Amino acid sequence: MSELTTGSFSIDDLENVQITINNIVGAIEKEAESSDVEMGPTVKPGVSSLRDWDHNVLDRYNAVYTPMCDQCCYCTFGPCDLSGNKEGACGIDLAGHNAREFMLRVITGAAAHSGHGRHLLHHLIGLYGKDHPLDVGATNIIAPNVQLVTGVQPKTLGDLDDVLSYVEEQITQLLAAVHMGQEGAAIDFESKALHGGMIDHVGMEISDIAQISCLEFPKADEEPPLADIGMGCIDSSKPTLIVIGHNVAAITDIIDYMDEKGLNETMELGGLCCTALDMTRYKAEDRTAPQAKIVGTLAKELKTIRSGIPDVIVVDEQCIRADVLEEASRLMIPVITTNDKVMYGLKDRSNDDIEDIIEDLTTGKEKGALMFDYEKLGELAPRLTIMMSEIRKQKGIKALPEEGDLKAIADTCVHCGACEVACPDSLPISEAFTRLSEGDLTKFEWIHDKCIACGRCEYACPKDIDVVDVIEKCSQSLISEEVGKVRAGRGPISDPEIREEGVNLVLGTTPGIVALVGCSNYPDGTKDLYTIADEMLRRNYIVVVSGCSAMDLGMYKNEDGLTLYEQYPSRFRSGGLMNTGSCVSNSHITGAVIKVAAIFAQKNISGNYEEIADYTLNRVGAVGVAWGAYSQKAASIGTGCNRLGVPVILGPHGSKYRRALISKPYEEDKWNVFDARDGSEMKIPAAPDYLLTTAETVEEMMPMLAKSCIRPSDNNMGRMIKLTHYIELTQKYLGVMPDDWHKFVRTETDLPLAKREDLLKILEAEHGWEIDWKRKKILSGPAMKSDVSAQPTNLKRLCKEA
Amino acid sequence: MVDVIKNTQMHCTYGCKTSKAVQPNVAGKMISKAKRPLLIVGSQVLKDEELLKRTIEIAKKADLPVAATGHSISGMVDSGVNAKYINVHSLATYLCDPNWKGLDGEGQYDTVIMLGHIKYYVNQVLSGLKSFSNLKTISIERFYIQNATMSFGNITPEVHVEALDELIENL
Repeated sequence: MSELTTGSFSIDDLENVQITINNIVGAIEKEAESSDVEMGPTVKPGVSSLRDWDHNVLDRYNAVYTPMCDQCCYCTFGPCDLSGNKEGACGIDLAGHNAREFMLRVITGAAAHSGHGRHLLHHLIGLYGKDHPLDVGATNIIAPNVQLVTGVQPKTLGDLDDVLSYVEEQITQLLAAVHMGQEGAAIDFESKALHGGMIDHVGMEISDIAQISCLEFPKADEEPPLADIGMGCIDSSKPTLIVIGHNVAAITDIIDYMDEKGLNETMELGGLCCTALDMTRYKAEDRTAPQAKIVGTLAKELKTIRSGIPDVIVVDEQCIRADVLEEASRLMIPVITTNDKVMYGLKDRSNDDIEDIIEDLTTGKEKGALMFDYEKLGELAPRLTIMMSEIRKQKGIKALPEEGDLKAIADTCVHCGACEVACPDSLPISEAFTRLSEGDLTKFEWIHDKCIACGRCEYACPKDIDVVDVIEKCSQSLISEEVGKVRAGRGPISDPEIREEGVNLVLGTTPGIVALVGCSNYPDGTKDLYTIADEMLRRNYIVVVSGCSAMDLGMYKNEDGLTLYEQYPSRFRSGGLMNTGSCVSNSHITGAVIKVAAIFAQKNISGNYEEIADYTLNRVGAVGVAWGAYSQKAASIGTGCNRLGVPVILGPHGSKYRRALISKPYEEDKWNVFDARDGSEMKIPAAPDYLLTTAETVEEMMPMLAKSCIRPSDNNMGRMIKLTHYIELTQKYLGVMPDDWHKFVRTETDLPLAKREDLLKILEAEHGWEIDWKRKKILSGPAMKSDVSAQPTNLKRLCKEA
Repeated sequence: MVDVIKNTQMHCTYGCKTSKAVQPNVAGKMISKAKRPLLIVGSQVLKDEELLKRTIEIAKKADLPVAATGHSISGMVDSGVNAKYINVHSLATYLCDPNWKGLDGEGQYDTVIMLGHIKYYVNQVLSGLKSFSNLKTISIERFYIQNATMSFGNITPEVHVEALDELIENL
């Protein structure tokens, strides 16, 4: 009995009785204790376990608040005026309140991911059992985030169940602190936010390794198949089923049914958001091209519905517009919801006969149905799609305006400008209507790529013009050509890849990892992502992508008609471009960073969070970019990266998260670390000079990316390569030399080779450094000494003499 | 005189304290009277030659140091303006710190003037300054910016150029 961890057994003496043990309390912990794995000091950390580390980091990277509102409306004491950082009736000030709100944002995102994970895990355990083994490809570290945080090395679905209970406990404890009359100090809300971000990566990892292990997703695959992407990739002449959301659990039954019945050529199956990405991963192990197509991101949801192309819509959870049912029913498109997080007030039809449901939906008696029985859904959705296609054709459902009506619509515009005030990106809608009145559609075509199709312009318009419909109608020829390619998510980075590349990353000879993650709320259209990735790949950075960013990146092609996915290898190496997968696959990006410490540096990672975060901050030149971040999940993903020592840049819309972590490079006493060899203090450069910040434009961000990959432990070759990119990108995009490049120079060998002499002259003339011109050697001037053997750390306890 | 204070429509509300609408001549005089002003110029000036031209004129006539955010510095190279690149989120952080010595090492500023920024972005930046600094912030953008101390209302690009011309006359 004591050997059991999970499973079932029978007692012979009892007849017709079976006792099933689902879970033995503490079994996984006991197993971990009995193994010879060394455990770090923070196994399953509680809310305050990593507080000292957080306060240490937050002392350098200050929380910066830009509140959306200067009131607090949390309780009935208020509303309280907190402007000027005043205190409210409960005693909380504006900084504390904003820190609390940011923490709430983070744990909302973490709850969305781990709630998704809980749903998936229950579903998959129901199908495959608790003992189903985890298999994510060539790795000995199946779950780096799980192992780092909890010390658990999961082997089965059942093991994940235990870890998820820990995640849920932490989220509950954090949420409790939001209640009025609890935490008051901004810095401790910040620590809690960082805790929530860390927990989020555990939740994401559980979600993804469970589905990778069970649904034949690619497993650390270096050549995952390519899938079609874009609004133009759907053949609208066929019956079309569109799925929206982030949880592929229900959709797999639809795919299976379509396969069994040979419907793949009869009808179209397209998706929006991460379910779409996961559909292309499902059964990808057979290496055939995915049948399912990716329509696009959240920004394409309203446009896709308004196009009238879907005959049926199935939604699951996360990133689904709240008005899907309302919008779809206007065009007689039935909506099926499949998850208790999104039910739209629909009747639960899980126990009803399929024929009855079809009758109610095809006659329009019901606008949609809630369906938790996924096997039934698998049959219902395709059959309904084929029937609705015919019915909608017969009824002559009219979606977008006719081309001949456009001028008349444009002429109704009174150019009051209300749409532009309401538009999140202040798009020039009024001017576009003027041009449309003259028969010129091009301004609306231009707007199409910039528009996130939120529909706020329509609510603002005093003339009730359906502006989104006009944008889409004017752009139909563009939309028909919107067809790209995206690699199906490859899953984690394998151990052999890390073994090969880890040394280059730590020493700096690979200039860095740029992770393009997050959503579609771009400030200036989708092409910016392509521009960023193209520039950094040409410069041999490793580029990792996921979620909506991975989708939009596949929409653009070079002069030979190839997307970046077709030009660059999907391998974790200099100049490699990898799509890890959907939103929950972001955990593989932090997972790769953790693996660099575990595999390359032989660090113990089990329950050893502080040390690995410290190692990353000082040695691994990685930076995250969430250019179109909009969601609470993006906030939690970024914050999890921050706690691990990875800085993140957001687009300008990211300022609406209302909190950043920015240092002050002029506070010179903050830029010291210990040398772990002897505990002595050493000066370091102010890089990264933020953990979370925003950039105004892509042009501004380019040099920021290069600078953000500089780390204290760069060797001379690595620093030279990184400085070369920093200087070149600043000159290319800002037209000037960076004004702080000299602060990163420790010795002449840090200087870019091609410009060494010129830069030495500048150092002498403008900064007063002493140069030995015969030997072209720096004699004095640098603020930091050059010692590539130094072991920089922020943790005194890791120093030998500590 | 150009009237720029009629339309102060907001697409959503921002709490208790919002900016006072200001006419160009008043804004011009206030900028001239500031003891330690800083003109903060955003990347949107690069999208409109007329706007860039007037930005440079304002900086020169009032002898204002320029914090060039985004990639706006690329439009001011060789213009004779005393401009330095800085990220606006970092700049706003430093502007809240009384110990910051400024872009020139001479000390903290008392007035900042915002021009050429993305509307929602500058509004967030100014929200931080409104709540956590004593700075006077004057927005001369073409949108009503709720979180400034003073701001033009929502105006068309053509009226904006006229307003900037009037402001320049009053410097």
